[in-house]
Amino acid sequence: MSQILRVEGLYKTFGHGDIFRDVSFTLDSGETIGLFGMSGSGKSTLGRCIVGLERCTSGKIYFEGDDVSTVPKKMRPLLRTKMQMIFQHPEISFDPRRRLIDSVTEPLVYHTKQDQQDVFRSLFPLIEAVGLHHQLFEKYPGQLSGGELQRAMMVRIYSLSPKLIVADEPTSMLDMSVQAQVLNLMKDLQQKNNTACVFISHDPEVMQIMCDRIGIITDGTCTLVEKEEFDDWVSYMGS
Amino acid sequence: MNSILEVTDLNVSFPTRNGVIHASQQVSFRISKGKSCVLVGETGSGKSVIGQSVLRLLPQKSIISGSIRYKGLDILTLSEEEFSHLRGREISLVPQNPSASLDPLMKCGDQIAESVELRGVKKSSVTEEVLHILSNLRFLDPVRVSLSLPSRLSGGMRQRVATGIALASKPQFLVLDEPTKGLDYAARTSTIDILHHIKANRQDTQLLITHDLDLAHRIGDTMGVLYSGELVEFGPVNEIFSNPLHPYTKGLISALPRNGMKPIPGSCPGFLNLPKGCYFHKRCPHPCARGEDVHPEICDISEERQVRCHRFSA
Repeated sequence: MSQILRVEGLYKTFGHGDIFRDVSFTLDSGETIGLFGMSGSGKSTLGRCIVGLERCTSGKIYFEGDDVSTVPKKMRPLLRTKMQMIFQHPEISFDPRRRLIDSVTEPLVYHTKQDQQDVFRSLFPLIEAVGLHHQLFEKYPGQLSGGELQRAMMVRIYSLSPKLIVADEPTSMLDMSVQAQVLNLMKDLQQKNNTACVFISHDPEVMQIMCDRIGIITDGTCTLVEKEEFDDWVSYMGS
Repeated sequence: MNSILEVTDLNVSFPTRNGVIHASQQVSFRISKGKSCVLVGETGSGKSVIGQSVLRLLPQKSIISGSIRYKGLDILTLSEEEFSHLRGREISLVPQNPSASLDPLMKCGDQIAESVELRGVKKSSVTEEVLHILSNLRFLDPVRVSLSLPSRLSGGMRQRVATGIALASKPQFLVLDEPTKGLDYAARTSTIDILHHIKANRQDTQLLITHDLDLAHRIGDTMGVLYSGELVEFGPVNEIFSNPLHPYTKGLISALPRNGMKPIPGSCPGFLNLPKGCYFHKRCPHPCARGEDVHPEICDISEERQVRCHRFSA
């Protein structure tokens, strides 16, 4: 397995203090690392710093061995395609005034300069893999359920063949059975594509199923534990 | 049985531009005094519509039939003025999303005090009563919470304040609408603990609406499982969890992470495209020929258990 991500001594500070400090870990292709913490612990901010949606105060992020802060401006769009993020609220991840087909094909049309219909046809196997019908993509986001939207988001993200996915509580707003559908689908796609994943959640049971290692974020520090150790920690906290 | 609430053949429909949505269809159940009845189901299964029907908070354009008897009184036939003597006093609501239900510009104590005053408590005793309610909700520093704005509290604490407002009028019947939705793990655990504490220490009858099966298991005495607007299974909580009969109930329980997170294939039919036969037929692991064309009726399995499935009907 090749190393996809290396985070070294990452700090994020807002006016009132450190959100997180001295966070370091590595992530190999096909591996899932969890970030676990309560609301406001800084786990989402850490995820956003990793994909470059927010600047960290200090520290280094290496993606496929390259320091992302030194990647030339021209190369950044290509880097962005390799690092994708799934957000918590599928209903606001899409533009409500555009049909799904427009939102889902947009990144690939932008990067490959192909015709939208050609791009869309090339996505049919992926659309089938996530259990949706291609006719559904003619609709607007408001006409679909949360589970359908999150699966459509998977199509958009996996169409770019990313090397790293940061999933920020992707199922916390979904029902239990829909959560099972989406998470199983994520695992399947991840295995098939050998994608590395940073999985952010506050649900220890979901962490136990999805992650190989888990970073527990408390009071700004991230403690990395193996899955078995996390199980013990959860049992201890539960008692 | 001494039933406090008896819902019989409740139908709720909403006319829309694209057709009529039947959000609740022939729903019948009863809740005995001091017991908790849980309605579980996925988003859009119609569980909140039933809660809103009991509180008469449905939009005016909704079409309601059937009856909802509270202590023998059909609340659907009461005038708004008559019902206002019950709602917020005898019947109270713990709303979902406390961040949106609390007034952001009013101190938490003052918000609880409004409900206490409705009971006719003397002004000089209101503060004492508010602090008593907050202590019962296991706040370590009730005075600080009472003087805080909601924005200064965590999600779990806000949920407890919203519960405090509902309890302040000393209701006999409590409707809890998704009290753990959107809360993180710690807040959810503390909310479940507090609801369990309330149930153990008070004699309220409760209607709990949730998709959180852990909460349902911990708090409920009886449980109804809703699918596409109708009850597909009803019975004692422990029996349903240990021996679920309807394939949808089995699917919900199997989808829990600790049970292997096995998904139910497919998705719910939309309310505008409900099939002629069994609504669950396309997703059913044991589809039967009758289910394709004949809609199953809910049938009694024992004195306490009911299920809507052709495999159990005579």
